Amino acid sequence: MNTDRLLGATALAVAALMLAFGYGLQAPFAYEPVGPRAFPLLAAGVIAICGIMLLLKPEEPDQAHKAGSGMAIAALSASLLAYTVLFQPLGFVISTAIFMVPIAMIFGAKWWQGAVTGVVLGLASYLLFDRVLDVVLPVGPFGGII
Amino acid sequence: MDTLGFLAHGFGVALAPTNLLLATLGAIVGTMVGVLPGLGPINAVAMLVPVVFALGLPPEGSLILMAAIYIGSEYGGRISAILLNVPGEASAVMTALEGYPLARQGKAGIALSLSAWTSFVGSAIATFGIVLAAPVLARWALAFGPVEYVALMVFAFSCLTGLLTDQPVKALLAIMLGLAISTIGIDANSGVYRYTFGSPNLADGVQFATVVIGLFAISELLIMLDTMHGGASIRIEQLGRSLFNRAELRFTNMATLRGSLIGFFVGILPGAGGTVASALAYTTEKRVVEKSDPKGSHFGNGDLRGLASVEAANNSASNSNFIPMLTLGIPSSGTTAIMLGVLTLYNLTPGPALFRSQPDLVWGLIASLFIGNIILLAINIPLVGLFAKMLSVPAWVLVPFIVVVSAIGVYSGKSTTFDLVLMVALGVGAYFLRRVGVPMAPLILGLVLGKILEQSLRRALSLSAGDVSILWSSPISITLWIMAAGVLLVPMLMPKFRSWRHKTIVETD
Repeated sequence: MNTDRLLGATALAVAALMLAFGYGLQAPFAYEPVGPRAFPLLAAGVIAICGIMLLLKPEEPDQAHKAGSGMAIAALSASLLAYTVLFQPLGFVISTAIFMVPIAMIFGAKWWQGAVTGVVLGLASYLLFDRVLDVVLPVGPFGGII
Repeated sequence: MDTLGFLAHGFGVALAPTNLLLATLGAIVGTMVGVLPGLGPINAVAMLVPVVFALGLPPEGSLILMAAIYIGSEYGGRISAILLNVPGEASAVMTALEGYPLARQGKAGIALSLSAWTSFVGSAIATFGIVLAAPVLARWALAFGPVEYVALMVFAFSCLTGLLTDQPVKALLAIMLGLAISTIGIDANSGVYRYTFGSPNLADGVQFATVVIGLFAISELLIMLDTMHGGASIRIEQLGRSLFNRAELRFTNMATLRGSLIGFFVGILPGAGGTVASALAYTTEKRVVEKSDPKGSHFGNGDLRGLASVEAANNSASNSNFIPMLTLGIPSSGTTAIMLGVLTLYNLTPGPALFRSQPDLVWGLIASLFIGNIILLAINIPLVGLFAKMLSVPAWVLVPFIVVVSAIGVYSGKSTTFDLVLMVALGVGAYFLRRVGVPMAPLILGLVLGKILEQSLRRALSLSAGDVSILWSSPISITLWIMAAGVLLVPMLMPKFRSWRHKTIVETD
């Protein structure tokens, strides 16, 4: 299937969701002629029109763009997701030290290069942001920096 | 106070030690980021959004820092383009066309110093233009009511879709997705919860920083996987003579001037930035030279005039981008849209009133553009070798660094796992959208302008008790509607324009 058609179908689905969840949006007391519902539905309408146009008349596919390997994309997405989910429970330093290993390896590092990157980044940015700049980062399960 | 008085006041703000330090820091970081392939100003500025809040900077300080990074990365983009034929960002593609052949001929030093100079000239001319044009435009824009704002925003959106992209439907889709995201959260007028799905995390909308970092920084990492060059070792050509001479300067003066002017005017248009400006300047210069001096033309083989005009245009445009942003509150590029979004986070309403209510901010920013460009010229000529070293930082260091800074930035806002996960989800989604050709800059413009557009629309219709015809009731709004229609119709009616646009986009994207 042409990617533009797929995009068009997705756009229609998004518009349908916006309509489904937006149709009931009404203010209990209306002070103004245009309520909270009109604008989202207007946007949904234009999204639907775009979707239909893409379905009927796909634009030229973007040939310049080479897709990377699906495995690498999936691995990077999964690592990022795991990192963000465990960011709070594991604490900043531990989660950074762990998950920067696979992320660095996806980009060509050996495992120990990734480990060094993760530990150095974790400690350095914890000290810089948490201690110097007062950005509160999650502490580790042991209550301190780790 | 007249313009000069305000400008003097602005220099007072910009020369305050903190702000001067921020401008210098921004210039250095911006150049470093610009050198890196794939990382453009928009990524750098996106990642900076939460950092400026974490640093507790006042609005003028954060704008000065972001602006310095923005213009700095335009300077940086040329370095990798000239030395390696790897443009650091889209607007440097044209630079590589003439710059890389020069480097191959052992003239890299000349190309680098000359392009730093023409970048400076372009920026300086554009900044003078801002000083002259912005206050006038702002005074004029004070007459704008909600009706005119609706028409103006529709005009901005049609520029984005009609004029400057090869795939108008996708650009329109991107704008609308941005508008849709802007409706999430409590509706300010009625108190109704929209698209929050019962989650308290969404009650006051999606955090701006989460969206921009997800859409730009995170999706860029996935794009980097697609374009990775497999860690190829980088060999930098001999720099040769490191400074251009007077003959070369005289040879390129007119080209620089033409490029600056083209860049200035293109930069004012919504949606057009350095990329379009440099492409237009290059094709114009090529035509001028081929007509006036057919024998002396070395276009494609390292013509200094081509290089000069492209770099002047590119930097001129990125400076004149600030005009619509400051005077109308309508950003003309993704990067200025992010800066505008930051202003709203400080509870400042972007638009003409800023000139009156926030002279420190507006004039401090304008003065710091002058100062930033001088700093950039000063650091870019002697330190070019140092910046080029950035290219040898391996991706496996760079990517974790970006991930960590992004995560800290998003987390610093509300300290929730929800925002972190949303950042990744948006990043992956944006990656797929970009892969099928949906541009991200219009999306961010839609997001930033969404609330203002909806409010203006509702206010206008309240004034008329629901009568839609109020939207085209004033001369200004009628003019803007006609301009919007014109921008949309021109490409449809003029196949020649369409093929030019196609060529330009393909060459630069």
